[in-house]
Amino acid sequence: MLGYATRRLLALIPTLLAASLLVFLFVHLIPGDPAAVLLGDTATPEEVEALTREMGLNAPLYLQYLYWLGNVLQGDLGTSIFFGAPVLSVIADGAETSILLAVMTMVWIVILGVPIGVVSATRHGTWVDQVASGGAMLFASVPTFWLGLYLILIFSVSLGWLPSSGYPSISDDGGLANLRYLLLPSFTLAAPNAALIIRLVRASMLDVQREDHVRTARAKGLAPWKVATKHVFRNALIAVAAAFGFTFAALVSEAVVTETVFSLPGIGRLVVQSILRRDYPVIQGVILIIVVLYMVINLLVDLAYAWLDPRVSLK
Amino acid sequence: MTLNRPLKTILAAAFAASMASTAYAGGTLRYATVGEPPSLDQHVVTSDLATTIAHHMFEGLYTFDAANAPQPLLAESDRLENDGKTIVITLRKDVTFHDGTDMTSADVVASLKRWGEHGSRGSLLFSNVESVEATGDHEVTIRLSKPFGPWKNLMAFINGGPAIYPASVVADAGKAPISPENYIGTGPYKFGEWQANRHVELVRFDDYDSPSGAADGYAGERKANFDALRFIPVPDVGTRVSGLQAGDYDYAESIPGDLFADLDANPQVTTIVNGGPLFGLVFMNSKDGPLKENFALRRAIQTAIDKVPALQVAIGPDKLWRANGSFLPKGNVWYTEAGAENFSRGDADTARSLAKEAGYNGEPIKFMVSTNYPFHYDTAIVYTKQLAQAGFNIDLQVYDWATLIKKRAEPDQWDLFFTHHGFVPDPILISVMNDNYPGWWTTPEKAALKAKFTESADPAERQKLWGEIQALIYEQVPTMKTGDVYTYNIASTKLTGLGEATLIWPHFWNVDK
Amino acid sequence: MTPNATIQWFATGRRIFRGRWLATLGLAWLVLVVLAAVFAPLIVPFDPLEIDPVARLTEPGAAHFFGTDHFGRDTFSRSIYGARMAIVIGLGSVLVALLVGGLTGMISAYFTRLGAFLMRVVDVLMAFPALLLALVLMTLLERSVMNTVLVIGIVYATTTARILFGMTLKLKNEVFIDAAVCSGAGHASILFRHILPNLISPLLVQASFIFAFAQLQAAALDFLGLGLPPEVPSWGNMLSESRIYVTRAPWLLLFPGALIILSVFSMNLVGDALRDSIDPRFKNDIKGV
Repeated sequence: MLGYATRRLLALIPTLLAASLLVFLFVHLIPGDPAAVLLGDTATPEEVEALTREMGLNAPLYLQYLYWLGNVLQGDLGTSIFFGAPVLSVIADGAETSILLAVMTMVWIVILGVPIGVVSATRHGTWVDQVASGGAMLFASVPTFWLGLYLILIFSVSLGWLPSSGYPSISDDGGLANLRYLLLPSFTLAAPNAALIIRLVRASMLDVQREDHVRTARAKGLAPWKVATKHVFRNALIAVAAAFGFTFAALVSEAVVTETVFSLPGIGRLVVQSILRRDYPVIQGVILIIVVLYMVINLLVDLAYAWLDPRVSLK
Repeated sequence: MTLNRPLKTILAAAFAASMASTAYAGGTLRYATVGEPPSLDQHVVTSDLATTIAHHMFEGLYTFDAANAPQPLLAESDRLENDGKTIVITLRKDVTFHDGTDMTSADVVASLKRWGEHGSRGSLLFSNVESVEATGDHEVTIRLSKPFGPWKNLMAFINGGPAIYPASVVADAGKAPISPENYIGTGPYKFGEWQANRHVELVRFDDYDSPSGAADGYAGERKANFDALRFIPVPDVGTRVSGLQAGDYDYAESIPGDLFADLDANPQVTTIVNGGPLFGLVFMNSKDGPLKENFALRRAIQTAIDKVPALQVAIGPDKLWRANGSFLPKGNVWYTEAGAENFSRGDADTARSLAKEAGYNGEPIKFMVSTNYPFHYDTAIVYTKQLAQAGFNIDLQVYDWATLIKKRAEPDQWDLFFTHHGFVPDPILISVMNDNYPGWWTTPEKAALKAKFTESADPAERQKLWGEIQALIYEQVPTMKTGDVYTYNIASTKLTGLGEATLIWPHFWNVDK
Repeated sequence: MTPNATIQWFATGRRIFRGRWLATLGLAWLVLVVLAAVFAPLIVPFDPLEIDPVARLTEPGAAHFFGTDHFGRDTFSRSIYGARMAIVIGLGSVLVALLVGGLTGMISAYFTRLGAFLMRVVDVLMAFPALLLALVLMTLLERSVMNTVLVIGIVYATTTARILFGMTLKLKNEVFIDAAVCSGAGHASILFRHILPNLISPLLVQASFIFAFAQLQAAALDFLGLGLPPEVPSWGNMLSESRIYVTRAPWLLLFPGALIILSVFSMNLVGDALRDSIDPRFKNDIKGV
């Protein structure tokens, strides 16, 4: 197990280097000039050029890359052009929102997805199964921003139950109660992604039911629901673990839209705004961190999967 | 079924939580902004959003009253000597900076000098300034090379204007915006914190000494009633509206015209129409391309356009726009109808023959517009249709704002581009008057009139000269005004003291909830 | 198509959709969308781009079935033309994803040394979340239909490459491939005449899911202002332009929204039905929803 983990970890390094080069290139090929955006309407071309030089944006591209990479390796992601603050601290400001949003979304997915998946599997082939699978698929077919708009309209504007937008930190006045700001956004994110978990839980449950020890348990006259509870937990966990890596990418993607609709001060909206402002260091920093996170999470998922399911060979 | 209970529990808990903590923002005004300001340094930044926040914190020597006339703010009085070539300003003696030090003439001189050298609008005044000196602890003397009429208007215009900072802050500051830890001003609110992406917060300055006199526009008494002002970026306009209706914000800016009727009728929402209109401008390229020096062709384009349908589409209710050809609105001292008969002719046939006379043979005309401002895009769509009907071959290029401002600096990239302009108290501040502004309108006729306009100190003569400049704009068409747009903001009905209209930027001294 | 083939075709269809009334309804809806797209100019009562300031924000009624938007453009006509864009985006993205991703996957599995490198590149690209990758690419490029299709296609090419890689590997070790190699068939012949035909039906399943996802991605890009040019009447653009009218003119969000949801849902249902009918070896390779 340890050897397997080390090997996987080492294999990450070239991938990460390639990813960093891609990130850098993508961002620097974007047209538009951060100096011009920063100086605003009345700046003269000379002023823009001077600021461009000052920010080091006129050096050859490969030098800029090596310089950036060197700093990144020392934990320095550069300085935000727009905020004038270190990129790392700008990202850290958004991290709380994004992490809590992701956690709450996973909670929604688990509390919605696992029970529905289990019910679908135990009532396999009946109308319950059909409605559950169909419903999940319907939710997966809704554009997130459209769903978000209507949730705000219903739960915030009409009913007044939940806040419409924004998110004050849980360290701010209000404490943990501020998490209510994330209830609607996390549900918006969870709804389309729950379908995958439902299908995986259902499929793995059905597989288990065909296995010998379960058949034996059935034959001994154990009630179907008892069989389900006994085996569901482990299998649901495996399914969730497997789906987590896949879902993570989808969550990050859709968080960009959700954070925009709900005006959340998270990393997703930071990326969109930074693209609009041509704040290269922030775009680079955020994408790099997300890519690294994605790879690490996938590694962890694989390891967890190997640990939970002994059938996976550690080659 | 199985889900009902946990779901209900969560909703109930959330409901209880939201009830329990409504006191959370008791003394805080929550303002939903269109985005995040680049910096709050008023000398160098001209963003309206920055000023909306910053003018609670920074003050200038002068400000505007409700009639847009300059009134003293940090200044106490002033007198002109030497045929208007020397300005002597006496400062108020009771003014304290947020760091506890007293404001003296040294601070004012240092601030004016930085603004004059590096400020966005400073060179307008300082190209005529020979010296700025402290001639007493609370007296500043400015010597001009020739009389300069709009000096007080320029000083009162805080956006890109001469805010007064402590000398210690401005001494080493160059062109780069000063950083938030150095935001030290004299206003009723002081800088609290800036959390990137989350909010900018100002807190009440307890040692503030208000100017005397009844509140009148931005002039007169300033009383800070809120503990804090919190400016929260909410870029999505739909979210700003629903957030205000749901009670998450007390004030939200820049709301689309089409929602006006509904929001105005809503008993929980106050609508506040801005007193100073903004206006769209379509700039023409004077440096390169088919429109360069071809004034006849530009007039043909101007003739083809009927501004009214575009305003209807882009803005909506009649109350919120005027098809007004004067660059400054009716009622303003600078209002003039000179040249405005050509503002909105909408005459495709005449335009077609004018274009033919101007030698136009269907060459593509590149028209750049951004989708970041929906009213730009909506207007450009209507114009493009109208121009096509008059036989123009318009190549509409849609970019995001950052790409557009990059491209407009390159003369070979465009022929027309769309932007808008905020309300300004003196026409000298309008962008087309700036020779360096993209479009680069620098004809000898303009130069001659502009020189006369800035040298004159006589209000009547300056008004007459402005009329001639406006007529020249309609003749040489460096830019086309699209009409006045009265933007509006919305507020919770709990807020009191907002007044009927916003002067230029909303202000929250003398406001309570 | 010969009568015989037609009959066989119908028989396969009946086998796949038998007992799946929901998927059958989905298929019917998709046929309707295709018909609307093909015959759009004959169906629409108005020019979808015609501006009418007098008739702006008209409620749905006899003249304008789906009402009008803030330009006074007919929402029904725009919706019908939107079906065209939906199909262009869907088919375009599928084509790009299958061509680029499919080829990469198959070649990588077949030529193992080159494959090791290619699949590493795919791994790197997969680490970029789909919408983020699309966002950055769209900012690089100009907003156009072509670029949107390319970008979405590239984003899904990565998953397609992975899937095809796995499936080709499985097939490569089968007896009939060995037989083909022994009989002296060339690489191209083995890849395209022996392996590819076995992958047609799983590819079809993958295509249907890409088609569905592409609609949602395109709508999200439109919403963020980085998708199709704003003047193009697509369902995503219609939603994006009208989001402020959610209470003022609700029809502007309800109709295009319903069209997107119904079409994506239908495509997912059909894809799901197809997936259940394919070779069980490949079933779990295709995630879909």
